[in-house]
Amino acid sequence: MSTLTDNPPMTAHATNPPAAAQVHPTFPGILRGEWIKVLSLRSTWWALASTAAVITLVALASAMSLSATTDDPALAQGIEQMHGAEVIAGGFHFGMLTIAVLGALLITGEYATGTIRSTFAAVPSRTPVLGAKALVLIVLTAAVTLVSATLSYLVTMLQLSQYDLVPALDDPGTWRVLGGTLYSLIAAALFSLGIATLLRSTAASVTVALTVLLLLPGTLSFIRLDWVETIVSYLPLPASSALLTTGAAETQGVYLSTQASLIVLAAYAVVPLAAAAITLHRRDA
Amino acid sequence: MIEAHELTKRYGDKTAVHTLSFTIAPGTVTGFLGPNGAGKSTTMRLIMGLDRPTSGTVLVNGKPYGQHRSPLREVGALLDAKAVHPGRSARSHLRTMAATHHIKASRVSEVIEMTGLAGAATKRVGGFSLGMSQRLGIAAALLGDPRTLILDEPVNGLDPEGVQWVRQLVRDLAAEGRTVFLSSHLMSEMSQTADQLLVIGRGHIIATGSVQQVIDSVASGAVRVRSPRADELAAALTADGVTITSPDASMLEVSGTTAEHVGQVAFRNGLPLYELSPRGASSKRRTCS
Repeated sequence: MSTLTDNPPMTAHATNPPAAAQVHPTFPGILRGEWIKVLSLRSTWWALASTAAVITLVALASAMSLSATTDDPALAQGIEQMHGAEVIAGGFHFGMLTIAVLGALLITGEYATGTIRSTFAAVPSRTPVLGAKALVLIVLTAAVTLVSATLSYLVTMLQLSQYDLVPALDDPGTWRVLGGTLYSLIAAALFSLGIATLLRSTAASVTVALTVLLLLPGTLSFIRLDWVETIVSYLPLPASSALLTTGAAETQGVYLSTQASLIVLAAYAVVPLAAAAITLHRRDA
Repeated sequence: MIEAHELTKRYGDKTAVHTLSFTIAPGTVTGFLGPNGAGKSTTMRLIMGLDRPTSGTVLVNGKPYGQHRSPLREVGALLDAKAVHPGRSARSHLRTMAATHHIKASRVSEVIEMTGLAGAATKRVGGFSLGMSQRLGIAAALLGDPRTLILDEPVNGLDPEGVQWVRQLVRDLAAEGRTVFLSSHLMSEMSQTADQLLVIGRGHIIATGSVQQVIDSVASGAVRVRSPRADELAAALTADGVTITSPDASMLEVSGTTAEHVGQVAFRNGLPLYELSPRGASSKRRTCS
């Protein structure tokens, strides 16, 4: 070992002003840092606005297509079993996409730009950063779901009233569907955050998230094999179906029970995040 | 204070830094000199706990970086001036870091003032020149009023006035008793900024000492040694932080030290010498071990 100076000057008194004694990382501090991060980027607002827009517009479209359904005598009966809240939640799976993109960007934006090094220099324990991001994402998703549901409720009211389908706010079925929508969107967002923390690349993460969330259930549903159908029922979108109806669909057999749906979706949210939390420490930033 | 002991980092089969051992003392400006790709940035990332060493240890202010209760109070680092989200303003970037440590907004304003960014603080970083990004990086490094500063190529892209400012800043910080460790690939820059030098090439430490000592040792050229036990001699000399090349099994070319020193090391280790010849000798020679 080579030492550069023999006698380091003893001037430690100059380096620690007492005023800053309380200065160290805490979880509330890290959470606040993540809030500032996410709210100071335009991409966040774009993702949130497009989520709300997409959910509302698709809800409006499905409300407007109700007239086509009633014109068709074969389908006309279905409308009687329909719950207005299901129409309002009709755009939810498109919202799942934009919210998944937001979830991915929360972390890949840092890796792509190198900001992750400032982040981990400030919080060397790393895991609390992921926890704070997850919490921020849950709050944002809840907020945008609330806004989207309110907008959807308002814009579809005219159409739904023609069929006496305007969901009653004192009807537990209404809240069940909206709660299911919120739960599923949060699961999709956290799934995407976990995958993105593992993959570190926006393109790769968004591809994986879109494939698992939308593409696979769509394409695999053409395969009429029992075991494939079983797999499909465990994918996030089909798994969320039981949570997005007032109960009638459960009898069709394809869907998971409400309880199973809750567990499956929670697993999608938690498993990638837990894996990410473990690897976050071991890998170079 | 930064203490590295046998620090090694491999990425795949590439060894970025190889058994680095050094101590950076507080109260001085220590320059980290070496060509691009020599391992300077890797070493700095290892110090900051961002990359994990393959083997060896490195302590900052007595502990591994990650074990400090208040990391930003201990070490401020500028590792890559461009590593800031381009969509965020300079102030927002600093606020995100400050928030984690409950550093007051007034301190954020203070470092913005200090680094001359007041006029650009609310603009998005994407539009910053490299010089402005360097100022932001330095502001981030100063945020926690740290005892140790690590700055990777801080004068790159700065205008002459900015270069002067950085030189004065690091001298002032060192004079306050802080440890200042900054890298450059330019000897001319280092000779005007640093008191002490750590010279690195291909992941090995080539020379250490005061700026004058390093200049002298480079001027003194290499020492040629022949010994039947050249391997052992090489190992004994490596421990003292010099560069050794071995043209054949019994011959060594040793640079960064003197013939006297090589002779003493050989004697201490009981190694026979058949030849010991200084090459390109200059009159002013000093050991730097």
